[in-house]
Amino acid sequence: MTPSLPLHVADRWLLRACLWLPLAGLLLFFGLPMLAIAWRSLVQDGASGGIGLGNYAALWDTPGVWRALGNSLLLGGATTVVTLLLAFVVAFGIERTCMPGRRFTAIGMSLPVLAPSLVLGLGLIFLLGRNGVVGKALGVRPEIYGFWGLLIADVLYALPQAVLILRTALRHGDARQYDAAEVLGATPWRQFVDITLPGVRYGVLSAGFVVFTLTITDFGNAVVIGGNFQVLATEIYNQVSGQMKFGMGAVIGIVLLVPAALSVAIEHLAAQRQAGLGAESAQPPVPKPRPARDGAFFAASLLIVGAIYAVVLTVVVASFIRLWPYRLDLTLKHYDIQIAGGYAPLWTSILVSLIAAVVGTLLLFLLAFGVQRLPGRTANAARLLSALPVAVPGLVLGLAYVFTFNSAAMPWGLLYGSAVLLAMCNYYHHHTQGFVSMMTGMRTVPVALEDATTVLGGGVARVLADVYWPALRTTLLAIAVFLFMRSMVTLSAVIFLITPSLTLSAVTVMRLDEAGFTSQAAAFSTCIMAVVGAMALLLHLLTRRPVPAAH
Amino acid sequence: MALQIRNLHKHFGGQPALERIELDVGGAEFVCLLGPSGCGKTTLLRIIAGLMAADGGSVSLHGRDLARMPARERGFGIVFQSYSLFPHMTVAQNVGYGLRIRGESAAAIDKRVAALLDMVKLPAFGARFPGQLSGGQQQRVAIARALAVNPSLLLLDEPLSALDARVRADLRGELREVQRSLGIPTLMVTHDQEEAMSMADTIVCMNHGRIEQQGAPQELYLRPRTRFVADFMGHSNLLPPALARQWVPALPPLPAGLAEAEALLCVRPERIRLGAASEAVGQVTDISFLGSIQRVRLRWNEHDLLAETSSAVPLQPGQSVFLAVGAADCSWVRA
Repeated sequence: MTPSLPLHVADRWLLRACLWLPLAGLLLFFGLPMLAIAWRSLVQDGASGGIGLGNYAALWDTPGVWRALGNSLLLGGATTVVTLLLAFVVAFGIERTCMPGRRFTAIGMSLPVLAPSLVLGLGLIFLLGRNGVVGKALGVRPEIYGFWGLLIADVLYALPQAVLILRTALRHGDARQYDAAEVLGATPWRQFVDITLPGVRYGVLSAGFVVFTLTITDFGNAVVIGGNFQVLATEIYNQVSGQMKFGMGAVIGIVLLVPAALSVAIEHLAAQRQAGLGAESAQPPVPKPRPARDGAFFAASLLIVGAIYAVVLTVVVASFIRLWPYRLDLTLKHYDIQIAGGYAPLWTSILVSLIAAVVGTLLLFLLAFGVQRLPGRTANAARLLSALPVAVPGLVLGLAYVFTFNSAAMPWGLLYGSAVLLAMCNYYHHHTQGFVSMMTGMRTVPVALEDATTVLGGGVARVLADVYWPALRTTLLAIAVFLFMRSMVTLSAVIFLITPSLTLSAVTVMRLDEAGFTSQAAAFSTCIMAVVGAMALLLHLLTRRPVPAAH
Repeated sequence: MALQIRNLHKHFGGQPALERIELDVGGAEFVCLLGPSGCGKTTLLRIIAGLMAADGGSVSLHGRDLARMPARERGFGIVFQSYSLFPHMTVAQNVGYGLRIRGESAAAIDKRVAALLDMVKLPAFGARFPGQLSGGQQQRVAIARALAVNPSLLLLDEPLSALDARVRADLRGELREVQRSLGIPTLMVTHDQEEAMSMADTIVCMNHGRIEQQGAPQELYLRPRTRFVADFMGHSNLLPPALARQWVPALPPLPAGLAEAEALLCVRPERIRLGAASEAVGQVTDISFLGSIQRVRLRWNEHDLLAETSSAVPLQPGQSVFLAVGAADCSWVRA
C-alpha cells in the first residue's frame, strides 16, 4: 500500500472523478454489453428456453452457419494473401523507391477510410456489375455478386490499413546496414532478402492479422456485393434480424470474437518485437533512383491505387448520371432523396458523430489523465479494459448493445433508441485506438512543468488548464476528428441499434441499395464522403500530425 | 532550524529508496544533496516539496509538521533541470504565475516581475516567449518564477545540469548571490561534486538511500568518513593501515567503532609532496598534463599512488622520487 499524497480535498475528488467517470462509462458501455452477450448466448432460443449450452449445440445443426464459417475463412484467407502482396508493393514503392507519384499514391490510400466500406462494393457494381460500364462496353453481363466481387471489394477496403502498417515497418530500417552490405558486395536482391524482409516480418504478420479480422468482420461489402455468398457477418444479421434467433446471433458473435481477439493479441506481440528491432540511432534508408525498379513499382502502384480511385470516383460520378450506364447526361435528381427518410439520417449521423467525438475525446482525456495521476489497481483495471474494445467486431458490439439496452427493466434501458446510445456505441467501438493515441500524446506533457505548477500553488484545475491543455491541443483535435470520421462511416456497429425513426447514413446507403435505388445510394455516399473529407481536410490544415490508424 | 527532517524513510516496491534520513536546514543555509543517480536525492527533494508521500518519519518547517499539507499550500519555490516553463506564456507571465494564483493585483504583479527580471539580469525579456530564450536564460526565468512568491524554502533539482559548462559556472555564482541576498533556506540536488563544493554551506552526501556524511565542503573533502564519500568528493589514495603507518608514522588513532580490518587511510593527491631524490622509494610511472597541474602516477611499495603537483614541477616517467605527507592531511575512512 503506497501512502497517499497530501492533497486538497477538491483536488482529490477532481482526480478521482477523472478516473472514475470514464471507468464507469467503460463498464456501462463496454463491460456490461460484453457480459450481456456472453449471458445471452447461454439463454436458449425456442420454446424450451432455459439456461444452457443449447445454442452452441444448435450450431451443429445449422448448416447455414457452417457454410458461412467456411466462406468467411476462405474469403479471409484469400483477401489476406492478395492484400498483403499488393500492400507490400505499394508500401515498398512509397518508402523505398524513387517512383513518381508517391504522394498521389498515399492520398489514394486514404480514400477508403473516408467512406463506409460498402461504397467500395457499390462502386464495383457500377463498374463490373450486370449494369456496369465494363459489361456494357464488352457486350456481356458479368456476374460480380459473390466471392469474387466480395474479394475485390474487401481487398480495396483492407489495403490502406495494410499499407499503413507495412510503411511503418519499412521506415524502421537502418541505412547503415545497407551500406555495410553494399561494401561487403551484396547485390540489391540479396540485400532485400537478407535485410529488408527480416526487418518487416513482424509488420507483415501484424498486417496479415489486421486484414483477416477486417475482412471476416466487415458487414457492408458482404451485404452489398456478397449475393448468395453467405459469410458470418451476414449470417449473424440473418439470424437476428431475419429469424429473431437472438441466442444464435450471440453464439455467432462469440465465434466472431475468437479470430478478432487472437489477431489483436498477435498484433500486440508483433508490435513489441518490432519495437525491439533496430538501434536507437537508426538512420532511415534513403532510396537512390534506379529507373528500372522505380518504373516497375510506379506501374504496379498506379494499377493498384488506380483501382481505388476508379471505384470511389465511379460512385461519385454515377450519382450525377441520369441512368447509369445507359443515359450518361448529368443530373442532380438522385440527390433529391425522398425515400428512406431523405437526408434526415445524414443529419442524425453528423449529430451522433459530433456527440461521439466530443464525449469520447473528453472521456479519453480524463481517463488518460486519471490513469497517470492515480496509479494503482483501479488505474490498471482501466488500462486493461481499455485495450479490449479493439478486439470486438462492430456487429458483436452492436448486438451486445441490443441485449443490454433493449430492456425496460433497467435504468439504462431509457437510452435505447436515442442518438446518445448510437454515439456511445461508435465511441466505445473505437475506444482502444483513441486511448492509445491519448496515452502517446500524454508523453509530450512536461512532467517538470506539472510539478512546478503544483509547488507554485496551482491545483488540479490549474494543471489541466495551463499544462495539459496547451500540450495536448493537437492530440485532442486529432482524436476528435478520428472519432467523428469513424462514427460517420461505421455500419456494422449500429446496424442493430437503429430504429425506424432514428437511422444513420451508412444504414441508409445500404437500404437504398437493397431497394434497388443504386444511384440514390451513390448520391448519399457522396454526401457522406464530402462531410468526412471536409473534416479530414480541416484536420490536415489545423495540424500535421497523423490521425490514429483505424482498425 | 528552518527545515527539520527526522527518521524519514521510503520504499519503492520493496526496495528501500530512503532510509533513516535526518537533516536540518538553517534559516539562510544553502544545502546540497549530493550523490550518484539513484541514491535517493531527488526522491528526498520531491517528498520535501510534497510531490511524493513518505512511508514514515517527519518533515517540519519552522516547527510545523508538513505531513498533511498539500504541495500547493506549502509556499515553496522549485526549479527543475529543464522544460519547466509554460511554453505558451511570455517570460513575464511565467514569472508572475504564482502571484496570479495567489490573486495579487495586476499592478503589484507587474512591479514584482520587473524587479525579479532585474535581479536575474533579464530586464528586457518580459515580452518574449521561452522558446526564444537560450537554456541559461530559461533557467534564470525559472529561478525568478520560483522566487516571485517569496518562498519559505527554495528547492533546486539539478537546475544547472542541462547547461553548457561556461553558462553553468556563471549561473552558479549568480544563483548563490541571489540566495544569499534574499536569505532563503535552499536545498539543491546535484550529482556534480564540484558544483556542490563551490555553492553549498553544507553538503549532504547520499548513497543507496542513506546519508553517508553531512558537513561543510572542506570537511567532506578532507575528512571523509567512508570510502564512498572519499571517492565521490574527488580523487584519493586509499591505503591499508599497516602500509599507511609505515609511510606516515605519526598517524592519529583509528576513530572509535572503526576496526583495523575495515579501515583505510585517505590521502588526497595534491597533499602528497614529491621531490627528486636518488635513494627515494617511489617511482614515477606516468604523468598526465592537465594545464595548470599535472597528475602523477607512482609506484611505491608495490602500491599504485596518485599525486597532483603544479605542472611547473619537473618530473619524468621512470624518475625516483620521495613522497611526503603530513598526518594532518590524512583521514581514516570506513572501507
